[in-house]
Amino acid sequence: MSYFRNFLILALFFIPIHSFSDEKIEQSKYFVENLGKQVIEKVSNVNLSESERIVNFRNLYLDAFDNYYISRFVLGQYWKRLDSNMRRQFVESFNDYIVTTYAPKFKGWEGTFKATDSLLENNYYNVKMSVLNKDGPTLQFMWKIYLDKNKNFKILDVNIDGVSMLVTQRAEFMSVIKNNPKGVIGLIEAMEKKTSG
Amino acid sequence: MVEFILKYNKILLIFVISAFISLDVKNAQAVENVNDPFENVNRNIFKFNNNLDDYFFKPVAKGWREIPEIPRKPLTNLATTAKTPISLANAILQLNKESIGNIIGRFLINMTFGLGGLFDVASTDNFGNIAEVEEDFGQTLAVWGVPDGPYVMLPIFGPSSVRDAFGLGVDTITNPLSFGYRMNGIGLEARLSGPVVRGVSTREKYLDYLDEMKEGSLDFYATMRSLYRQKRRKDISGELESKDLSLSMLPVEAYEDEELKSEVEESKSDVKNIVTTMKDEDSEIKSEMTRYYNGVLPSSNYPAFNESRVNLIE
Repeated sequence: MSYFRNFLILALFFIPIHSFSDEKIEQSKYFVENLGKQVIEKVSNVNLSESERIVNFRNLYLDAFDNYYISRFVLGQYWKRLDSNMRRQFVESFNDYIVTTYAPKFKGWEGTFKATDSLLENNYYNVKMSVLNKDGPTLQFMWKIYLDKNKNFKILDVNIDGVSMLVTQRAEFMSVIKNNPKGVIGLIEAMEKKTSG
Repeated sequence: MVEFILKYNKILLIFVISAFISLDVKNAQAVENVNDPFENVNRNIFKFNNNLDDYFFKPVAKGWREIPEIPRKPLTNLATTAKTPISLANAILQLNKESIGNIIGRFLINMTFGLGGLFDVASTDNFGNIAEVEEDFGQTLAVWGVPDGPYVMLPIFGPSSVRDAFGLGVDTITNPLSFGYRMNGIGLEARLSGPVVRGVSTREKYLDYLDEMKEGSLDFYATMRSLYRQKRRKDISGELESKDLSLSMLPVEAYEDEELKSEVEESKSDVKNIVTTMKDEDSEIKSEMTRYYNGVLPSSNYPAFNESRVNLIE
């Protein structure tokens, strides 16, 4: 009898966890698909002015991506060496750089996408997505997202055909810092030059 | 001496490769494991490759894209099928049962139902979406435990490593098709058709992406180096990211640490309106879009995130 009671208690613990997990997995897929739809509506739209496109992309980026985490990651070992003002300056320049670099690329983008799977692994949801470009090849995306304190999904990285955008960005920044006598300041200047250019 | 070299040339070759591979590993680890001791030479070759790409390969790839799907796709499929012997040989050397099964399965299906390899029917739903597998001797060496060694930029062929460059040479020499061509007196022009079609087709696939990446990049050489390393890692081990560059380095729990909390407190007490001017040519809209942040960085993980969300103060 005690076995049966223990089993029931265990079952009560597991059933809600299982359903919660399933629900979140579905929500994680919806999150990336919905982001894609918003990008098409608010960024790809050819009727938008360039300024509107950049503002919309900035809002989507700041809302969906954990830009502070990303900034910290791409600066690698150099993050620890910066004071809070420099860190803030870097995050702002990096956000501007990302927005001005990527927003124009979405202009007129046409294609279809579907989140095919989502796996929960070490607090991260790895959401797989097939992206079929209208005039190009099908690419396999994998979004690395997590639930923040406020139970909002935040994107940490996007992996395209096995290549992490975050790791690539970090490798590039490390090289710029290494080859620039001004170090991180040189990197910030290079980003600002690219942004204003 | 000459006799000795001739007799033991293979051993010497392995020794030389091993020496190259172990070269400068320590220095490389210091800077995010780039392992690029020949960076200056590599950058010059990269420059040459880029020029060659701008004036030759890119226009050819663009022209290739303009060719109707038939014959473009069947030609690409034929060129891919021609790589089967070398891929199969390497899959066997790696004892990779899954790859061996995929390569043989694809080959048989495409040679029969795909009309001699003209159509890639093995990738369709009807034949179970058999994934395309390419195995090369660089991968085989990796499976045998040979490290990739320093990064090298090959003229025309592009990014590689000492191990993979050696593998490329071995694959070219030992390709069973090469023997077949030679035995039948087929000239170099015909022999090159497969690699050329594969190269043009691959360049066409990444036409837009590479241009965009080049345009937005601060150091295109470093970007390509990273892309190559990640792609090879995925091809060889299936891992998407290196352990030393893993996102797990910054676990989500990192946000709970005291250092970050104090940073946020500092930024709160140091409230300034940071004006971020949008870089845009349209001056009218530009002035409308001037954004005033409330001094707190926009991250979901900052305490009181909801209260301090990037508010646009008009």
